[in-house]
Amino acid sequence: MSAGKGDHGPRLTRLLAMVPWLLSEGGAPVSEIAARFGIEEADVIGDLELVGLCGVPPYGGGDLIDIIVDEDGWVSAFAGPFFTRPMRLTPAEGFAVLAAGRALLAVPGAEQEGALRRALAKLEAVVGESATLAVDLEPPPVLAAVREGIAGHERLEVDYYSAWRDEFTQRRIDPLVAYSLAGRWYVDAHCHRTGGLRRFRIDRIQSVRPTGERFEHRQVAPPGEAFTPGPDARTVTVALPSWAGWVAEAYPVRAVDERPDGRIQVVLDVAGPAWLERLLLRLGPEAEVVEPDDLEGLAADAASRLLARYRD
Amino acid sequence: MTNLVTFLLHTRQAVSLQEVVEQVPGYPAGLAARRQAFERDKRVLREEGVPLSEEKGRYRIRPEDYYLPELDLTPEERVALNVAVAAVAVSPEQGRTALRKLGGSELGGRLADGALPLGAQLVDLRALPSLPVLHAAARDRAVVDFGYRGQRRRVEPYGLLFRGGRWYLAGRDLGRDDRRNFRVDRIEGAVEVGEAGAFEPPASFEPADSLARQPWLVGGEEAMTAVVAVDGVLAGKLASELGEEAVRERRADGSTVFAFAITNRAGFRAWLLGLRHHAEVVAPAELRAEVVAWLESMSGPTAPPGSE
Repeated sequence: MSAGKGDHGPRLTRLLAMVPWLLSEGGAPVSEIAARFGIEEADVIGDLELVGLCGVPPYGGGDLIDIIVDEDGWVSAFAGPFFTRPMRLTPAEGFAVLAAGRALLAVPGAEQEGALRRALAKLEAVVGESATLAVDLEPPPVLAAVREGIAGHERLEVDYYSAWRDEFTQRRIDPLVAYSLAGRWYVDAHCHRTGGLRRFRIDRIQSVRPTGERFEHRQVAPPGEAFTPGPDARTVTVALPSWAGWVAEAYPVRAVDERPDGRIQVVLDVAGPAWLERLLLRLGPEAEVVEPDDLEGLAADAASRLLARYRD
Repeated sequence: MTNLVTFLLHTRQAVSLQEVVEQVPGYPAGLAARRQAFERDKRVLREEGVPLSEEKGRYRIRPEDYYLPELDLTPEERVALNVAVAAVAVSPEQGRTALRKLGGSELGGRLADGALPLGAQLVDLRALPSLPVLHAAARDRAVVDFGYRGQRRRVEPYGLLFRGGRWYLAGRDLGRDDRRNFRVDRIEGAVEVGEAGAFEPPASFEPADSLARQPWLVGGEEAMTAVVAVDGVLAGKLASELGEEAVRERRADGSTVFAFAITNRAGFRAWLLGLRHHAEVVAPAELRAEVVAWLESMSGPTAPPGSE
């Protein structure tokens, strides 16, 4: 058995973070410690029992960290001259907090009082960061208006461009939650046009008009895949040139295979012909629809239609 | 293990393995077993980021390496950091550990922003294992070495940028002697980091400026002004994306003519074709000819055999 079995890894890090705070406070209820450090009360006691046994040789009196948990669940802490401050952040920890902070600063309206900006400046000074990390969330122009609708539970009227169907529609929506997923902004909303919960891309909302009507706020399920194929979706197999492997990364594909001719074959769900046309036009003559048969001529038809525009 | 950290942190001089196993309780009897147990403990300490120094077989943890300097965070600032880590998915476990070190949260894990559903994040930044390594290397100005598209690259890392759902490393490729951007998700295997202080980044470097926002500005082809006519159905959306300064003419039929600089023709073509029959490149003539040739190559070969 090695020194202090049971406080390996994450538990050690947790302990080494908890003790300095306890020392600086002098004491706190178990329930507050559990809430503050995001752990169960039983784990707090278990951790503290371990710390109570710690100290430096020869393990007598004043060299031990003294931790006493009384019957009311109040923890008192006294210590020698160590663990007065927490351990430095590892590169991964520093990165996690800085990146999260920078990202939130990049959301319009998310940071109002400047506390996050000040906290990040203090943290940057300590970890020695200077302008090596940037987060660009490319907020669409109407994001702020959508977020206001969410915060105020206000029904919105939007002009929404459906790229799948290539049409603009006017809808009334009850916006529930907005978020950035894989670089794109979405809003989950109850759509009065379709009578159900729908996910909209915020960069495709051309304009937002508040209606002045309130709706009752509901909790929605956490966002999952950005695209859920609708009932009209079709499954399409497309052969791609080898340089177009990004297609398999950029869209949710059902399967990816290499073909004997060196091309890549992907199977994906397509909700409307407009979207598939757009993809094929960008990929050019080396891409083709393998299945289903009735879509094989889609790209050539689209190219002819565009050419007509250039020839008249 | 906490005893071991306390002992190594408290000692004024580096101590030997012998001293460690004798003074810290819990080590087994027998030299081989003790050595093995201590080696394992060393590994755990390093994995958890405890700065253990080792010199000529003697060990200590220097207090100046170990202790986090005083940050003097106000409760509001600590709450703000907690909200950020809860709202942004980067690497939740590392974020939580960092927050505990910074004094935990008065919120007790609850989120201030009531607009967020339980368990959902406002922003999802994809976490990649090499990001903290590259970030630390950029900060320390250490040259990094990694596999990329099947080749080894030696790069002076200037900074990291998240844009369009992806992480990019901006830096100087030493093998190619040129400024390059690398997609961090395409880095193959582990990143090797050299000595700190090996280079000076350009004085004016800003990660946010290192990568063009629009696909037609990625790359260094000779700049030209593209003139594009867009149907009314998409004109409003594009005007808000491209900015009013790109609007050259609003026509009576609702369509709009845009003019803007491009330095990457392939990127421009992909964007233009994404607008399908709702847009047409008007000028310059060579760009228009290029798009026409592309469309002709697509409409030609798939004509049914024998239709000529």
